[in-house]
Amino acid sequence: MSWRGLPARFRHGIILLGALTGACIAGPWLSGDPTIIVEPAQAGLLPPLSQRWVVELRDGSRTAAQAAQRTETGWVLFGRGEPRALPAGAVVSVQRQVFWLGTDTLGRDVLARLLWGGRVSLAVGLVALLVAVVVGTSLGLLAGWHGGLLDSVLMRLADALLAIPALFLLLLMAASLRPSLTVLILMLGGLSWMGVARLVRGQVLSLKEREFVLAARGIGASPLRIALVHLLPNTLTPLSQDAALRLGDLILAEASLSFLGFGVAPPLPSWGGMVAEGGEVLGTAWWLILLPGVAVTAVVIGAALLADGLGEVARPEG
Amino acid sequence: MTRPFPTLWAVIALALGALSCRAEQGGAPAPSALGARQGGQVVVAIAADLTTFNEYQWAAEAAEAEILDLLFPSLMVEQPDFTQRPPSFGERLATSWEFSSDNRQLTFHLRPTARWSDGRPVTAEDVRFTYSVQKDPDLGAMGWEFKEFITAVEVIDPLTVRFTFSHVYPYQLMDANDGHIVPAHLWSAVPRDQWRTTDFSRLLVTCGPFRLAAHIRGQTIILERDPAYWGRPQPYLDRLIFRIIPDVASQINQLLAGHVDVVRVVPPRDADRVRARPDLELIEFPSRDWGYLAWNNAVEPFDDRRVRRAMSMAINRKAAVDSVFLGHARLAHGPILSSMWAFNRNLPTIPHDPEAARLTLAEAGWRDSNRDGILDRDGKRLEFDILFPAANTFRRDLAQLISADLARIGVRARPQPMEAAAFLARQERGEFTALLGAWTEATRIELSSAWATRSPTQGSFNFISYSNPEVDHLIAAARLEPDLSRAQVLLDRIQELIVFDQPVTFLYERNELVGLSRRIRGANVNAAGLFFNVQEWYWEP
Amino acid sequence: MARWLLRRLAAAALIVWLVATATFLLVAFAPGDITQRLAEARVPPHAREQWRRAFGLDRPVWTRYAEWIGGALRGDLSTSWTTYRPVAVMIGEALPNTIFLAAAGLLLELLGGVAIALRQARRPFGASDRVLTLATLTAFAMPTFWVALLLAEVFAYRLPVFPPSHMHSPAGELATGWQRLTDLAHHSVLPVLAIGLTGVGAIARYLRGSLLDERGQAYVLAARARGCSARRALRVHALPNALLPLITVLGLSLPFLVSGSLVIEVVFSWPGMGQLVYSAALARDVPTLMGGTLVITVAVVLGNLMADVAYAVVDPRVRLGGGV
Repeated sequence: MSWRGLPARFRHGIILLGALTGACIAGPWLSGDPTIIVEPAQAGLLPPLSQRWVVELRDGSRTAAQAAQRTETGWVLFGRGEPRALPAGAVVSVQRQVFWLGTDTLGRDVLARLLWGGRVSLAVGLVALLVAVVVGTSLGLLAGWHGGLLDSVLMRLADALLAIPALFLLLLMAASLRPSLTVLILMLGGLSWMGVARLVRGQVLSLKEREFVLAARGIGASPLRIALVHLLPNTLTPLSQDAALRLGDLILAEASLSFLGFGVAPPLPSWGGMVAEGGEVLGTAWWLILLPGVAVTAVVIGAALLADGLGEVARPEG
Repeated sequence: MTRPFPTLWAVIALALGALSCRAEQGGAPAPSALGARQGGQVVVAIAADLTTFNEYQWAAEAAEAEILDLLFPSLMVEQPDFTQRPPSFGERLATSWEFSSDNRQLTFHLRPTARWSDGRPVTAEDVRFTYSVQKDPDLGAMGWEFKEFITAVEVIDPLTVRFTFSHVYPYQLMDANDGHIVPAHLWSAVPRDQWRTTDFSRLLVTCGPFRLAAHIRGQTIILERDPAYWGRPQPYLDRLIFRIIPDVASQINQLLAGHVDVVRVVPPRDADRVRARPDLELIEFPSRDWGYLAWNNAVEPFDDRRVRRAMSMAINRKAAVDSVFLGHARLAHGPILSSMWAFNRNLPTIPHDPEAARLTLAEAGWRDSNRDGILDRDGKRLEFDILFPAANTFRRDLAQLISADLARIGVRARPQPMEAAAFLARQERGEFTALLGAWTEATRIELSSAWATRSPTQGSFNFISYSNPEVDHLIAAARLEPDLSRAQVLLDRIQELIVFDQPVTFLYERNELVGLSRRIRGANVNAAGLFFNVQEWYWEP
Repeated sequence: MARWLLRRLAAAALIVWLVATATFLLVAFAPGDITQRLAEARVPPHAREQWRRAFGLDRPVWTRYAEWIGGALRGDLSTSWTTYRPVAVMIGEALPNTIFLAAAGLLLELLGGVAIALRQARRPFGASDRVLTLATLTAFAMPTFWVALLLAEVFAYRLPVFPPSHMHSPAGELATGWQRLTDLAHHSVLPVLAIGLTGVGAIARYLRGSLLDERGQAYVLAARARGCSARRALRVHALPNALLPLITVLGLSLPFLVSGSLVIEVVFSWPGMGQLVYSAALARDVPTLMGGTLVITVAVVLGNLMADVAYAVVDPRVRLGGGV
């Protein structure tokens, strides 16, 4: 199947997701370290497209200036407040930097934080998705194939988990356990497998009675082989569609958790956390809240386009 | 010829009679400010709802305590001169008071015109009942420890009550005054074992310039002027409305948009926005809040004073505090606030000197032996978590600035945000290596709960396990020393010792930033409280 | 059918019990308890111990659990540890607020979704369809809390059109009748928009596909042949059939009606169930947390059940007890 032959939505989705993911992966090389603090009094809350001279000092800290003048004894820096004089020995380097998307309250580059936060959010989302799909598929296969008591127990378990008001539980879990990345991924994945399991189970139930499956059983194929060779491949399409949508949900869930303060720990940025920080300074620094929200929206759009496209691949529309 | 004098005397007598009647009722206010007029309402933003109207049922936050102060009387009014000496007091429920010759007994004379909102008079029995509640060890009410040296409160007659003390010390008046007086005639009927679970809003009578008009849970508290209030002047304002807005950024937005008139805690970042508005006023003064980086003194590596001092030297405290508070906080230096009278002005300061820090750590055995950029000793790296409550943005930013400073000398400090209750639990149980904490000081000098060695009788908030026997001894002596200059000598030495030991790294002393609409006139907002003279506030439409 | 229903109800009860137990254990073993705040207010440790005893926190977990379960079965949800009022009363106050907001949001989603999908289905793949597709996609993808913050900033602060938070203004709290109603309506606009915007996208996307499917069906073509205009055919004939599967969506939305959007309630200070349970969890107020969770779980389970029943009733092809 050629690239052109694929549905438009599918192509757009792949391109969008691919571009975002690529940018986030390449982030550090593109834009630098997101944890570098540049003296907040000088570089805090700069609007997008600001330029400053970033001065690295001998003690490892950084400060910024709007204009820097070289003198015989060292440097004179002009910026917010009074001009400062620094001896040459104290200064390691003076470099011009453009803050394409501005800076936050601690003088950190928003573009760097956005890209790195994307890494975190996408990683959490993708790995949690993997957990959900693996667990959900296995349990769905088991439930659909064996039926009976096993099926009932698993489905009731799934119902119970679906009934839990997830946000409160995640909150309590975050309080009890150190909210590391692994814990976060397990929590999100652990509360997300149920939909996958239901889907797979439904598919297995309808496929179970079809001729090719009955034939396979007739010739004595093991259940595992039947599952891998016959059931899974036919489940792939609805499964992948669901997975794409689920990715969007997981990213939104991670963002909500971070927004409430229960996501990843600083200085690791995450998009949800950045929206929360932006909310604190909304009146003065609108870019801090706008950009991470746009990023989340873009990823979810990409995932949705992908899902739509997969749907069209399976069922070409007139 | 008719004599004018009887008529004149009659007129004078009538006038005097009229005036004294008004005094009895606390009638129309004599306009003390030019242009002051009755009416209007002020909307105050607060962050959380009142949980109960009974301050002895639970522990009140600062904002809650201020609302309760408008509804319930205390014996006296504490004046804002507590920064210069143990505070002086003005009249409130008590019109006068005197000490016995040995200073062991303190007698209050109560105001005869004071009434609860159901009409019953406020008597010495109310004071005695309140004391019994405050002192009850099973109730564990807030402020219990301030009654430690009060052994008895007796009713001499309905308007006279006498406190007996076990010791003579500088804060006798303060301890007697601590806590508001509650209605004995209604609340004494509640059995003590049900005290904690009773809904006191059903038993609410108040005695203050305002009374409760409505309480819409989680949204609004509406207070209205109490016409039966016996004090003078009667408030000009018709209503005081408290809007519960948990998010501070929203509070500021609503102040700027005119939906609220008072914001108690303006974030430093928004101070200029408020100041720039001609219709708003920003009031700033030193508060009693201060913050620190606590080290667990019982645990390696912070059981070694050298390591703690090295940390304090490595952190650029001034830069961190300025970055986070934008000039609206000062560096904290020691256990006593720099705005207080007892502050030791000759305290040796810990300089910002990363090189010296490195040398001190090397002395203590911490070197980078495997060249991985992190100091180590006997195979263990110098790395730890700095705990802080996730919702607190100041501590979140401070944690990152501190972490960056420490990283430069080879110490790996990881900021670890925690859910609020979990943070408090870990703090209380001492399950931490380092944490960012904050404290609100009382208006008195009280060092034993935080700095004395932990024991059943003292050091109940010394969760960092700090212990210095000499400090303990001096604290006990200073507590009971009635002569202020002698006490000062002891307090100076305590501060020197604590600063030398650096059980915590002292970080910041915040300023109070209050945003007020300029249509509120006559307000004197100061260190004694937001509503210090709320009866004189009036509204200029 | 009756047997199936009975089995599902039994399963539902089991689920509610499981969830309640899990929540209880989680909060019992989470670090910190209700007395944590006392430490901040400098209540000394021995006094804090008194408080723990008063709330029964010194007793073993199983005893406390049995007590709560026993009470719940009798219909007694105990008293809140933060406000000292009966939990049932607090839920009774919060639930209508959440239902109001969620129902209004649902209404907006449905009306908006239907209007947009109809417009799109009239001329699929045309210019307006493409624009609306992008719009619904974007609306569907935006994080709710982000939308809420932006709406508040733009329409409450920058342009003071709507109030930024709360259910009523101070004057509105004390008002009655028509004035109170309009005050409430004014305060509801932004939160309802925040909830509805994301949902509109989802419903519009789904309905569009559904309408396009129905459009090609025989009965619609027959209607066109009889002289029905394209628009009328869509609206009167295709739409009802396209809407049928949405019934399950409504059933599945029941839990949302009850639990509300926590984030919206936090951003707009709306005193609903979400806020109630959230602050109870933060404060470790066990009775309130358990009561709220119970109500929400019952709603979820009932909602699922209703959705299944509705789908079976509506679509006789579906076998109950098998593939559902």
